[in-house]
Amino acid sequence: MSETICISIDGKVMAAQPGDSILQTRLHGPDAVTANIGCMGQGVCGSCRCLVRKAGERETVSRLACETVVEDGMQVSFIDYYQPDHVHRYRPHDLRDGWQALPQLQQTFPETAHCRHCGGCDRACPRGIPVQQGIALASRGELPAAAALFDACIMCNLCTLACPENIRPNHVGLYLRRAQAIQNLRPGDLLRRLDQQARGQLSIDTTAHLARSES
Amino acid sequence: MSTAISYQQACLNRASHATSPLRADDLSRAALLAQYHPDHAADASTLLQIGSSRGQPCHPRLAELLQSNALIDGFDLAGAEQRSTDVLVLGGGGAGAAAALTAARGGATVMLASKLRLGDSNTVMAEGGIQAALAASDSPQQHFDDAMRGGHNCADPQLLAQLASDAAGVIRWLIELGMHFDLSDASSDGGKLRYKQAGGCSQPRILSYRDYTGLEMMRVLRETVELEPGIQLLNRCPVVELLSHEDGSCAGAVLYDLEYQRFIVVSARQTILATGGCGRLHLQGFPTSNHYGATADGLVLAYRLGAQLRDMDAFQYHPTGVAWPQRLRGGLISEAARSAGAMLLNGLGERFVDELAPRDVVTAAMLRECAAGRGIERDGQLGVLLDLRRLCGPDQPALASQLPALQHLADKCGIDPTREPMLVYPTLHYQNGGVVIDSQGQSSVPGLLCAGEITGGIHGRNRLMGNALLDILAFGRRAGRQAARLAQAARNKSSLPPLRGGIEHVYRWQRQLALAGLDASQQAPLLYPGQARLTLHRPASARA
Repeated sequence: MSETICISIDGKVMAAQPGDSILQTRLHGPDAVTANIGCMGQGVCGSCRCLVRKAGERETVSRLACETVVEDGMQVSFIDYYQPDHVHRYRPHDLRDGWQALPQLQQTFPETAHCRHCGGCDRACPRGIPVQQGIALASRGELPAAAALFDACIMCNLCTLACPENIRPNHVGLYLRRAQAIQNLRPGDLLRRLDQQARGQLSIDTTAHLARSES
Repeated sequence: MSTAISYQQACLNRASHATSPLRADDLSRAALLAQYHPDHAADASTLLQIGSSRGQPCHPRLAELLQSNALIDGFDLAGAEQRSTDVLVLGGGGAGAAAALTAARGGATVMLASKLRLGDSNTVMAEGGIQAALAASDSPQQHFDDAMRGGHNCADPQLLAQLASDAAGVIRWLIELGMHFDLSDASSDGGKLRYKQAGGCSQPRILSYRDYTGLEMMRVLRETVELEPGIQLLNRCPVVELLSHEDGSCAGAVLYDLEYQRFIVVSARQTILATGGCGRLHLQGFPTSNHYGATADGLVLAYRLGAQLRDMDAFQYHPTGVAWPQRLRGGLISEAARSAGAMLLNGLGERFVDELAPRDVVTAAMLRECAAGRGIERDGQLGVLLDLRRLCGPDQPALASQLPALQHLADKCGIDPTREPMLVYPTLHYQNGGVVIDSQGQSSVPGLLCAGEITGGIHGRNRLMGNALLDILAFGRRAGRQAARLAQAARNKSSLPPLRGGIEHVYRWQRQLALAGLDASQQAPLLYPGQARLTLHRPASARA
């Protein structure tokens, strides 16, 4: 394929190979890439988030650069990461008491109740998660259902960036998912193994393999 | 490229077999590995000429980096910002996060510096699962035996025994932080975890969360670190050199702050390297499944400071990297696919290897097919077929619910897995060797601990599926605990901030380079793998 096309990345016009991703095109550029890059195509790290506008279109959409194939005339702008001003800290052991789940959620993420239903988070999500519905369920107290919606979230923070009320929806989702595991996950096989080991059973003979490989 | 069978023809050959036969093999595993595994290629090993592992075999590309000059000089430290901490953790993947959290819980002040952003690592991409021998029929001993055999009896028995024994505690710790695992039977006994079969294992032992275990793990770890008041997080601050005291012990590190384009000198009582492996070096010309940051930085710095290395000529090439389309080349198809029944077929439609043999064996068998002209070519890309029909049968749940990440990948490839096979080729996946450590993650340099892929000895010369996620947590926690303990002991002696170190070891190293006649104009660590190198901004030299 000798045909090349042009795209603009952060204001710089670059030649691109058809079929390449935006991220691959950026890597062929003159500057060392030191941010907004991670898993290089697997689509799980959320680092390469960017705004994309196709030639002749007015709408700008948020995408992962590693999963988006270049098109001639595309305009791309990478989105940096910022630490938000107000983060409500919590620790895993704060989540142990499931009876406090609702007041704790309200305390940790008070903005959750302020959703304007603008749908910005839904449009921003590169995974197609119904983010707004998740926040609505959470603020109604339907926590397991809300948590389940965020199952495939890659924590790219695009919904957080999109939210005019600073709700940080992906962090709410993760909080709910974590609370679920912390409160409910007590696998019997794990409990048994931990108990056996606490009694000093099941120690390992590190020389057994030598005898076997000789025999 | 040797001859190959076209993809169309290979698909026809596949269709002619109702159930693809497994070809009887005429080659022993040892002979297969010796002839076809990339580690055994004639140009895959050289001897290190200087440093504390002088005379040991090492991959030539890695040896170049290990025996190179520093990125900085003494005057770079003059105007640098000075900071101090009890424990400095370098690397923001799973091992670094586990070490930082454990050190902070152990009462230490912790600084965690990450080249990219916390969580941007191989951990988030390691989706297959984590080994823990929990079944009633299983035991840590069997886990140990399998891993020892899979690593060709080269693992350090003490380290491996700790890996297997720590597993249950690690899973408990992850659940306490809020990580989910798949249950096989949610209704009884508080649930029983689901076990998957891994290649080279005597029984199913892989715990997972869907087919994105690493994503689930890393998002929980990242959030925990970010919200932990005892950890100061420095994103986009690659380590460019370690610092040493006069006695040769580690004194902290020099970071380069990309945002402000300046050096930061961090004096630390204990330093933990958790910088991962080197997949982005594309050893032997292979594509890689690794993260952008996997450029052997920590390995280079530890070696320059005097740490011993081992097995630096043993690498893991994961059998199922994407071979087509070219855009996604090297990307990983998790072993979970083969664990669930996916088959490997050559161009004749034959199965040629037990898909759940250890990874090095499967990879060597695939390369043999390609070398023998039984590989498959599609748009110039060579590989063998990964047949997913068994996962897509009428009695099976939809692939999108079984293995959602695999379905997502197939979609990106434009392949309908119910009808078409995927084209796969081995991809550079893991560095089996690394820095020699003791049971607490202590390297041979006092003050310097290591955890995760940067270390060697735990897996011998070949790692089994699911033992990397276990390794980073088991030994990340051990290193974090030990560092906090040692920092506390040092604080008890003197409440003053840790002493400042220097880069005397760099000057010693430069003398060794000169004496050995090595090229001192080569600089490392690489930091970023692209063709374009980062220029470190130097106010001092700019003023001159």
